[in-house]
Amino acid sequence: MAVCPMALCKGLDVDKPVLQLLNIRQISNASGPPRFRLMMSDGQHSLTSCLLATQLNYLSDENLLVPNCVCLLKKTVNNTLADGRRVVVVMDMDILKSAEEAGGKIGNPTPYNTDGKMSSPQKVSSSTYVPESPPSAAVPGPSYRNYFSPRGRGGSFTGQAPMKASPMKASPMKASPMKASPMKASPMKASPMKASAIKASPSKGLTVKVSPMKASPMKANSASPGSSAKVIPIASLNPYQSKWTIRARVTNKSSIRTWSNSRGEGKLFSFEIVDESGEIRITAFNKEVDKFFSLVEQGKVYYISKATLKPANKQYTTLKNDYEMTLHAHSSIVPCDDNQSIPTVHCDFVPIAELENRDKDAIIDVIGICKSAEDVSRITTKNSREVSKRALSIIDQTGKVVTVTLWGEEAENFDGSTQPVVAIKGARLSDFGGRSLSALFSSTVMVNPDIPQAFRLRAWYDREGFAINSQSLTETRSAGTGLNVNWKTLSDIKNEDMGHGEKAQYFSCVATVLYIRKENCLYQACPSADCNKKVIDQQNGLYRCEKCNREFPNFKYRLLLSANLADFGDNQWVTCFQETAEALLGHSAETLGHLRDTDEAAFDEVFQKANFTTHIFKNRVKLETYNDESRVKVTVMEVQPVDHREYSRRLLQNIYKLAR
Amino acid sequence: MASLLDASKPRINCSMLSQHIGRGVCFVGRVEKVHPTGKTFSVSDGEGKSATVELNEPLEEELSGIVEVIGMVSSKGVITSTTYNILREDKGIPFDLELYNEALKVIHDFPQYYPFEVAASG
Repeated sequence: MAVCPMALCKGLDVDKPVLQLLNIRQISNASGPPRFRLMMSDGQHSLTSCLLATQLNYLSDENLLVPNCVCLLKKTVNNTLADGRRVVVVMDMDILKSAEEAGGKIGNPTPYNTDGKMSSPQKVSSSTYVPESPPSAAVPGPSYRNYFSPRGRGGSFTGQAPMKASPMKASPMKASPMKASPMKASPMKASPMKASAIKASPSKGLTVKVSPMKASPMKANSASPGSSAKVIPIASLNPYQSKWTIRARVTNKSSIRTWSNSRGEGKLFSFEIVDESGEIRITAFNKEVDKFFSLVEQGKVYYISKATLKPANKQYTTLKNDYEMTLHAHSSIVPCDDNQSIPTVHCDFVPIAELENRDKDAIIDVIGICKSAEDVSRITTKNSREVSKRALSIIDQTGKVVTVTLWGEEAENFDGSTQPVVAIKGARLSDFGGRSLSALFSSTVMVNPDIPQAFRLRAWYDREGFAINSQSLTETRSAGTGLNVNWKTLSDIKNEDMGHGEKAQYFSCVATVLYIRKENCLYQACPSADCNKKVIDQQNGLYRCEKCNREFPNFKYRLLLSANLADFGDNQWVTCFQETAEALLGHSAETLGHLRDTDEAAFDEVFQKANFTTHIFKNRVKLETYNDESRVKVTVMEVQPVDHREYSRRLLQNIYKLAR
Repeated sequence: MASLLDASKPRINCSMLSQHIGRGVCFVGRVEKVHPTGKTFSVSDGEGKSATVELNEPLEEELSGIVEVIGMVSSKGVITSTTYNILREDKGIPFDLELYNEALKVIHDFPQYYPFEVAASG
């Protein structure tokens, strides 16, 4: 007898149906024995939501259960999953005919789904179960119109009628219009019945039990878009569509964060998911945190439905989606085993050499080999919070190196000793030290990710990359190392129009002090720490600082030098602030201030002594406009003594280059 | 010998000795062996080659480290020294003899950019 598989899954008591096995598949099961999923057919329809009870696993192991064999289901149990899916668990079965005896697939069964979730044609991954014929013919016949009414599926189904065995074989029943295109919700047409090779023998004991189906919110009308059974792409999610299911992989999961502000307190965690169409961010608050935090794992694929969509708060995320999702009490997250089609992570890696051309504060994906990593250090932030940080140097095939800063637990757990491939999605590019990257709360840091770019990087590095004398975009503090210092001569400033661009330029040079202006080299500054604003002498013993809006009985001396430097090519007036000025003159501002008032000869002497001293100057040059007048201004950032050996080597290198 | 001090004294290393026979030179090298009489000692240059220095008067002090010798190159390739400087290792930056040798080669390869002769006589 051909018993519609649907009857089985509707919870109807069907006595020992005979069905053909179309396909058997093992499902990954983290704990416990493997589970097998069966696709059963009655010649007219196929049902994929059948599970083999584990005690029957031996049938598969011993190759008794092979596709196309004909089976007698002696005992089945209906289960309903958390998300409304119904599965038929086969507890006991006999193999009546082997696959060879059956001689192939009987009939041309079309898929029948309990709720469409598992074999909607849009989903590529379950295409193994979708037969060649489109389910267009799958429309319930009029005789069954009455049958399905208690399911509450909608107007087309009314009444209640006892089911007869014979009509059952007749036509395919489709209770719900899962597939919008081929489905006509109402009216139901009697579809031409396919001759079934399996003859249904009327079984007497057949009773109809209309089981209280768990109402999966399915609409009878195909006019309304989206039902929970259909999986839709993330890119099509919007707040105006209430019933949807998505299937995506978790790319990034945050830790649980708690907050406490004037409006109350709570906890949240968020994660980002990706599918073939795009990505979106999901947040769970309070109770949902407890419910879902341990379930959601980075890298795994889940079916998600019933959550609130709202416009994205771009402050907290850099994902390219106008919306973001919040889970609520009815939200459902179910692990999905079939994830071949879901991409792992959407990454748009920028070559390190290109980072110079990107804007500051841009969010970048980057991948490279970690050449070296500093030790983790703890620093205190502006908000007086202690946080761990670690700086790594990464290099890629462009031969350039950049410093990446990790924070928090990621910094603590990072191990750079094996020079792993490090990929970061959503790092912030800053102009600190030239160019550097920082991992944000929302960034995903992947160590040795399983992606082709990582393998290419590894191969390149092992072959040649490790030997490259690379240039770091993040300048190191010590100007003396010489590897990444921008050496220029003073004549270059004019010849190369330095500082004329939008950004200031930095360069180093060896130069000699010709002259330092004594007049106005000192000013009276606000005594508060961190405030260097010039104070106004109130002439009453008090000095007023406009910035702090306070008056003080004292001040601190600060140097502001105007000096003329020269080398073989040119001379240049530069400005030196406190630190560099003190380095040049060899005295503190306070001492000089005092000297100026007490011993003018000694004061002059200090300036004389500084003349014709040669140093390495690290400078910042920028074209500045003040009231219609533009001038190139050079400021000394750092003064270092000349390392003659290093300087000599550099000169020799330059000579050799010129001599070629 | 007084005239020697007025004339230009090009800096040389061992390989250039033969080209400066009969001329005053300045040789910087590391003291190798001092003859027991104290009237002669050997020096090695940045390339590792050795030359001999003869003194008019015997040494009065212990000689070691890097010295700068001013003298004349004899026909036998020996430097007859009029005066010498010890570049003390305990003061200032240590002298890099190999780097000095590199600079020497450049000076001699491009004499047009290092017109010491003109400067000395002018």
